[in-house]
Amino acid sequence: MNDIFDCKLLLVDDEPELRRMVGSMLRQSGFKKIISAADCSHARLLFTSEKPDGVILDVSLPDGDGFSLMREFRSISGAPVLFLSARDEDENRLLGLGLGADDYITKPFLPRELILRLHAVLNRTYFPVVLNQKEKPVFYLGKTMIDLNSGSITSVKGTFTLTAKEYALLEKLFDNKEKIVTGDSLCLAAWGDPLYGYENTLMVHIRRLREKIEPEPSDPEFLITVRGLGYKLVGVTSS
Amino acid sequence: MKSLVKILSRYVLSAAATAIILLIINFTVLTVWLYQSASEYGKNYTVAQMAEELTESEGRYSLSESVARELKNKQQWAMLIDEKGAVAWSTDLPSDVPLYYKLTEVAGLSRWYLKDYPVKVWQHENGLFVVGSPKNSMWKIGLELPMKLVNNSEILIPALLILNLITAVLLALLFGYRLFLALKKLTTGIEDLARMQPVALPAQGILGDLATGINHASAQLIRQESALNKRDNARTTWIAGISHDIRTPLSVIMGYAGQMEEDNTLNKKQQELAVTIRIQCQKIKALINDLNLTSKLEYDMQPIRKEEFLLAPLIRSIVAELLNSNCSPRHTLSLSIDENAQNISITGDSQLIKRAITNIILNSIRHNPGGCDITIQLNAESGTTFLSVTDNGTGFPVQTLKRLNHPREPMELDNHGLGLTIVRQILKAHNGTASFSNLTGSGCRVTLALPGKP
Repeated sequence: MNDIFDCKLLLVDDEPELRRMVGSMLRQSGFKKIISAADCSHARLLFTSEKPDGVILDVSLPDGDGFSLMREFRSISGAPVLFLSARDEDENRLLGLGLGADDYITKPFLPRELILRLHAVLNRTYFPVVLNQKEKPVFYLGKTMIDLNSGSITSVKGTFTLTAKEYALLEKLFDNKEKIVTGDSLCLAAWGDPLYGYENTLMVHIRRLREKIEPEPSDPEFLITVRGLGYKLVGVTSS
Repeated sequence: MKSLVKILSRYVLSAAATAIILLIINFTVLTVWLYQSASEYGKNYTVAQMAEELTESEGRYSLSESVARELKNKQQWAMLIDEKGAVAWSTDLPSDVPLYYKLTEVAGLSRWYLKDYPVKVWQHENGLFVVGSPKNSMWKIGLELPMKLVNNSEILIPALLILNLITAVLLALLFGYRLFLALKKLTTGIEDLARMQPVALPAQGILGDLATGINHASAQLIRQESALNKRDNARTTWIAGISHDIRTPLSVIMGYAGQMEEDNTLNKKQQELAVTIRIQCQKIKALINDLNLTSKLEYDMQPIRKEEFLLAPLIRSIVAELLNSNCSPRHTLSLSIDENAQNISITGDSQLIKRAITNIILNSIRHNPGGCDITIQLNAESGTTFLSVTDNGTGFPVQTLKRLNHPREPMELDNHGLGLTIVRQILKAHNGTASFSNLTGSGCRVTLALPGKP
């Protein structure tokens, strides 16, 4: 298997029109081997004979429910299971009972949403992080270069190294670039606790970070304060 | 326990009252009777007076006219027995009365009866004066009492009365306690009734009818309760079923619309139409979700995952999320959190609270397409947390405002959708309130009050 598109997928849903739609959606996105079943018994047969690499499973099927079918599949192979559910309660069961589903989508859903989640599930199973680990990003804020691999900053002022907390804050802000990141989630990323009691500490760290990345720390143009909420990293470029 | 004391004291009091009333009645009757007898006594002659009215002159006896008349009136007879035992004088003497008496016979008649005639005797200077009444007209008893008893009567009579009183009180306590036991069963029965518990009281004793009535009412209530539950359940299940059935076909429509959107063989116009179809499908999806949630909240069937969480970070994340999603450049969002509300924690379902707050803000945005400024404020005051969302937009229509603050029909749809109804229901499920108002000038305010811990 070279990439996830080599995966053989089993699609189980009792509605033929939905099977046809999802099938064409999957084919369009690049999956080549797709088999489908309308009920539990046919799905069981196909699962043992065809040995699919991933299953998209409807929760309510005419001759049983998807949850118990998944448990049967789990006893045979470790193929990931993505649930399609048409009921609100299923969400609670999937979240609350920890049934071991790899992901779930509530109907109706957008094709892109299904494809993205399927990719994530298959990547997680067949191309885990170790293989998939990419280099950490290197990015520019104006003329300042930030390398998250070494945690170093190079600007006209010279080269600085980020402290652990500064690194955690900057990485969180970069992951959500152009978006407001609340003080709470920044503190959670750096100290593992929400904001309350850390406001001053957070402010001190942000000021130090600005001294390293901003040309004019007292008038920041990249690390913007959003009053009452948190901070925002803007103007990120890749070169 | 309080009711037991009450019942017993009432019983003892009523027993005492009954005894006292009886005593008074008896005493009065006795007094009246004695008085009347005494006055009667004064009018008539006693046997002593009669004896005195029998006079002897030269061996002949004569009775005064008035005594003779009275004897006649009363159908009495009289005689004088001389020292030798012979009847020396008599008037109206019945034939069966002998004319000669021995000493022993005299002793007998002196106190009791003479040939069944009740007689009274009195001594006369010439012998024994005897007055007889008709047979069976008088009952005579001899009263003999030990002197000791008579001497101690000052103690014995009050003692007897006290003994009676104690007996009366004890009996009253016993009956009162029995009543209490019977009532206690009924009381617990009625309490169970109020708590919708099934009641089955033993239908015996004086309160049996009452117990039967309570049992009947209980059965009736439980029947109604279960009928109501069944109806609510049916309604929620029906809505859940309908939304379940709509979801699959909607998935197909949305799926194909999504594919068409990205299909480069279609022209721009067609792709735009696909976008419209997709957006409308998403609206239906949101509506189905709202309908499901509101029907479950209304009938307490929404599982609420309770946890303790801080409100301020949740609100910050909601505002940041909305700002990040960049929903409209024409709307501004500003947040102010009081210092004393920074650390307020709420026990409840954070996802539902988030839903409520988001609904309010989105409602302001949706109903002011021209743009408006939205202010979110959080403050705390003695155990209650107030969150207000204020905008300077068009405000609520009067009808909507009335319906939101005084809901009658639980699930009423209008152009505001279910969003704000869900807000009210979520707050209610968290023992809080939501109040909606229009501001003078322009704009409106929604204030949520929640119990919170500092």
